[in-house]
Amino acid sequence: MKIRSLLTTIMVSVLTAAAAVSVPADEGKVLKLAWSKDIQTMDVHRTTDNYAVPLSIFDRLLEVERKEDGSSELVNSIAKEYTVSEDGLTYSFTLRDDVYFSDGTQLTAEDVEATFTRMFALKDSVQTDFTTCIKGAQDLLDGKADKLAGLTVKDATHFDITLEEPFAGFLSVLATPTCCIMSKKNLEEAGDDFGMVPEKTIGSGPYMVKEWKTNDSLTLVRNPHSWKEPGNTPDEVVYKVYPEAASMNMAFQNGDIDILDCDFIDSSIVQSVYQTQYADKMVAVNRLGTYYITMNTQVKPMDDVRVRKALQMAINRQGILDAVFGGNGVLVDGIYPAGSIGYTEDNQGWLKYDPEGAKKLLAEAGYENGFELELAADSSASANRAAILQVFEQNLQEIGVKAHIENYDESGWLAKRKSGEMSSFTSPWTLDYNDPSNIIDTFFGSAESTKGRSINYEDTDVMARVAAARAITDEKERMAEYAALEKKIVEEDAAWIPLFSLQHQYVLSDRIEHFVPHWAGYSDFNVYGVTMK
Amino acid sequence: MKRVLKRLLSMIPVLLGVMLLIFIMLRIIPGDPVSILLGEHYSQDTIDRLTKAMNLDKPLMQQFFSYVLGVLHGDLGVSYIMKRPVTDIILQAFPHTVKLAVMAALFAWVIGLLTGIVAAVTQNRPPDRIFMTLSLAGVSVPIFMVALALQYFLAFKVKLFPLTSDGSLKSMILPAIALGWNSAGSIARMTRSSLIEVMQSDYIDTARAKGLRRGAVIFGHALKNAMLPVITMMALQLSSMMSGAVITESVFSIPGIGRLATDAVQNRDMPLLQGTILFTTVIVILGNLLADFLYAVLDPRIRREA
Repeated sequence: MKIRSLLTTIMVSVLTAAAAVSVPADEGKVLKLAWSKDIQTMDVHRTTDNYAVPLSIFDRLLEVERKEDGSSELVNSIAKEYTVSEDGLTYSFTLRDDVYFSDGTQLTAEDVEATFTRMFALKDSVQTDFTTCIKGAQDLLDGKADKLAGLTVKDATHFDITLEEPFAGFLSVLATPTCCIMSKKNLEEAGDDFGMVPEKTIGSGPYMVKEWKTNDSLTLVRNPHSWKEPGNTPDEVVYKVYPEAASMNMAFQNGDIDILDCDFIDSSIVQSVYQTQYADKMVAVNRLGTYYITMNTQVKPMDDVRVRKALQMAINRQGILDAVFGGNGVLVDGIYPAGSIGYTEDNQGWLKYDPEGAKKLLAEAGYENGFELELAADSSASANRAAILQVFEQNLQEIGVKAHIENYDESGWLAKRKSGEMSSFTSPWTLDYNDPSNIIDTFFGSAESTKGRSINYEDTDVMARVAAARAITDEKERMAEYAALEKKIVEEDAAWIPLFSLQHQYVLSDRIEHFVPHWAGYSDFNVYGVTMK
Repeated sequence: MKRVLKRLLSMIPVLLGVMLLIFIMLRIIPGDPVSILLGEHYSQDTIDRLTKAMNLDKPLMQQFFSYVLGVLHGDLGVSYIMKRPVTDIILQAFPHTVKLAVMAALFAWVIGLLTGIVAAVTQNRPPDRIFMTLSLAGVSVPIFMVALALQYFLAFKVKLFPLTSDGSLKSMILPAIALGWNSAGSIARMTRSSLIEVMQSDYIDTARAKGLRRGAVIFGHALKNAMLPVITMMALQLSSMMSGAVITESVFSIPGIGRLATDAVQNRDMPLLQGTILFTTVIVILGNLLADFLYAVLDPRIRREA
C-alpha cells in the first residue's frame, strides 16, 4: 500500500511538472542582446564608451533621429523648444512639463543644472571634451567655482546656457550621451553608488535598470513614469556577456540573442554564414566614422612630405575594403566620414593606388632602398584591424619599405600613442556628434591633440584655423573653411591616410519587428528604437 | 597544530612579496588606467586631472604603503575602472569559480582515479593501452579546444546542455568537464604509475601469499599507499582551479575570478589585480596546506617526523 501511494505521488508530481513546462508563461516582450564584455559603469560622466545603458535609461535635451533613408536630423526631446541668440552665445530652452524620473519625481531645470555642474565638478569626470565651451566650465574644472556660470535656471521649465564663444556644433553636442540629464535628488542621495547600483541610478528615459550582475548580465525594465509611449517596444531587455566570439555566434543561431552585432563576430563567419544563410535577416547601416592610418612626422623619414605622399599612394584601400570587410563600405579621401555634415565627394581622387608612382616619389626623396617602419597594433582590438595592418605591411613591402607589425596590449598601445612616439597605427573615429569639428578638432585642432595621437602635425597656422572654424557663425562659410582645411591637410600635406567609412551590420532574429540603429552606427543604441512582434 | 600555525605565519612574507612584485611589475609595463578610461578621447588636462583624482600622482612608495596599510585593515581598495570596493567584486565572482572548480575537480577525480586503477590492474593489456592513450589526449589537448568542442557538439548541435552558463548546475557540467579534462588525464597517469610501483613491493607479495584475493589486495593494501602522491596532486589541482580558469570562464560566459584578473591586467586596474592575486595566492597556499595535512593523516610516518 505504501509503495503504491508513493508511486501515485511520484506520478502526480511528474504530471504537474510536465503540465507546468508545457504552458509557456507570458513573460511579455523580452529583448535579448549580447555584449562582448561587461560595461564598467552606468554613470556616463565616468566612461567614454559604455553608452548602451545611459542611452536607454536617461533622456537628453535633444536627440538625433535616424530616418529610413539613413540620414539623420536633430529633434527636440525633453527640451520642447529653444531659441539661439543672434551672437550665437546664448541658448534658451523650454522643458516639457511631463517628464518624470523612474522614482516618480518630475524633471526640472534644476536637474539640468545639477547634471551640467557635476559634469565638470566631479573629480574623475571624463566627459569634458565637448562641453568645456560652456561659460564657467573651466572654473569648475579648476575648482575655482562651485556653480556653472553659463547655466541660468529661470523657472522649473526654463533655463539658458551661455557659451564662451560661438560653437555651431553645440546643439548636436547636447544630443550625445555626454549630456544625459540626471536627477539632482538622486545624485545627492546616491553619491558614489550612482552608476554602480541599479536602484540608485535613476533616469527619466524609457527604461530603468533592474539588475546588474558583473561580467554576467544586465536587465532593463520599463520606466513606468516615462513620457514616451511604450508601443511595441520590449518590456524587458537582457544584455548577456559573451567574451568568446564563437560562443556568441552559436548563441545567436540557438535563438538566445535577438540582435547580433557583427562587429563582435569574426568577419569570415559574417561573410560565409550570415551573408548567405541569413541574408534577409541582415540590417546594414552607415557608420559615421572614418578609418585612418597615421604617419608620425617626427619619425624619420616621414617628416618628408614626399615620403608621406608615397605611403598614401602605396596602400591598396579598395583591396583592404574588399578582403577584410567584404566590400561593405565606401572609400573616403578626406577627413569627414561619408554621410556626415561636411562630407563632400569633391575630394575623391586625392588618394590613388599607385605603387609605381610611390616608388618614384621615394626615390626622389632619397629612399630608393626603402626604410624601416613599425606599424603598431592594439592586440585587444578586432581581428579586422590587425588585418588592415597586415595588408598595409604587404603594400609597403611592395614599394620597398620594410614595415613590420608590433603588437601592444590596449593600455600599452594607448600609452605609447599618447606619448607622441608611435610611428604609425590604424583606428576608426566614429562621430560623437554630427559636425566636422568633432573629428578635425580631435586630430588637428591643437599641437597637443596632434601629438596625443602621434601625428605631430607641424603646421600651427592650420591648427589655429581649425580651432577658429568652430566659431564661424555663417554656416556656408564654415563648411567652405572645413573643406579647405581638409584639402590642405590630406592632399597638400599628406598628414594622414584616410581609408574608408564602413557599414555596421546586424543580424536580427524572427522576433524583431523593427530596429533603428544608432544614428552614427555605434554598437550601443537606445533600445526604445526596437519593436518586437 | 604548531606546524599549521607556523605555516600560516609563513604566508605573511609571501603575500607581502606578491604585493610588492605586482606593484612593481604593473609600474614597469607601459600603459596606465587613465588611458584606458579615456580611450579614444584625449586631452592633457583631463589626463592630469584624472591622474590626480586617482592618486596616481603620489610617489610610488607612498602609494604602496597606503595600499598595504589598507590591506592590513581588510580594505583591498576601490577598483579604478569599476569604482567599487575590490572585496565586493571578488566576493561576487568567487562563488561562480568555486562551483566550477568543485565540479571540475569531482569530474577529474572520479574519471582520473577509475581509469588509473583499471589501467594499472590491466597493465600492458588492451584496457590499459586504450585508457592511457585517452589520458594522453587528456593531458595534451588544450582546454580551449576541449571547451569549444564540447560546446559545439553537446550544446549547439545536440541540445543536451545550455550553451553558456545561466547559473544552473546543469549549465556548469560542460565547463566542469572542459576544466577537469587535463587534470583527469594527469590523475589517471599518476594513479596508474603509482599503483603499479606499489604492486611490485614486498608487502603486496606477502598479502598475496596470505591468500588474499586480488581485489582485496588492491583496494585494501596497495591503493592506500599508491594514493599518497595522487592526493597531493588532487589538492593542488583544486586550489589552482579555485584561483580561476580564464579560458573556460570566457567560452562559457562564467563571471568568475579568472576573468576579473585578466580584465584587471588589460585595464591596468591596480587595486583589482592586487586584490584578485592576493586572494588567489591565499587559496593556493591553503591548498598546499591542505595537501600536507591530508598527507599527514594518511601517512603516520610523516606525523611522527613532525
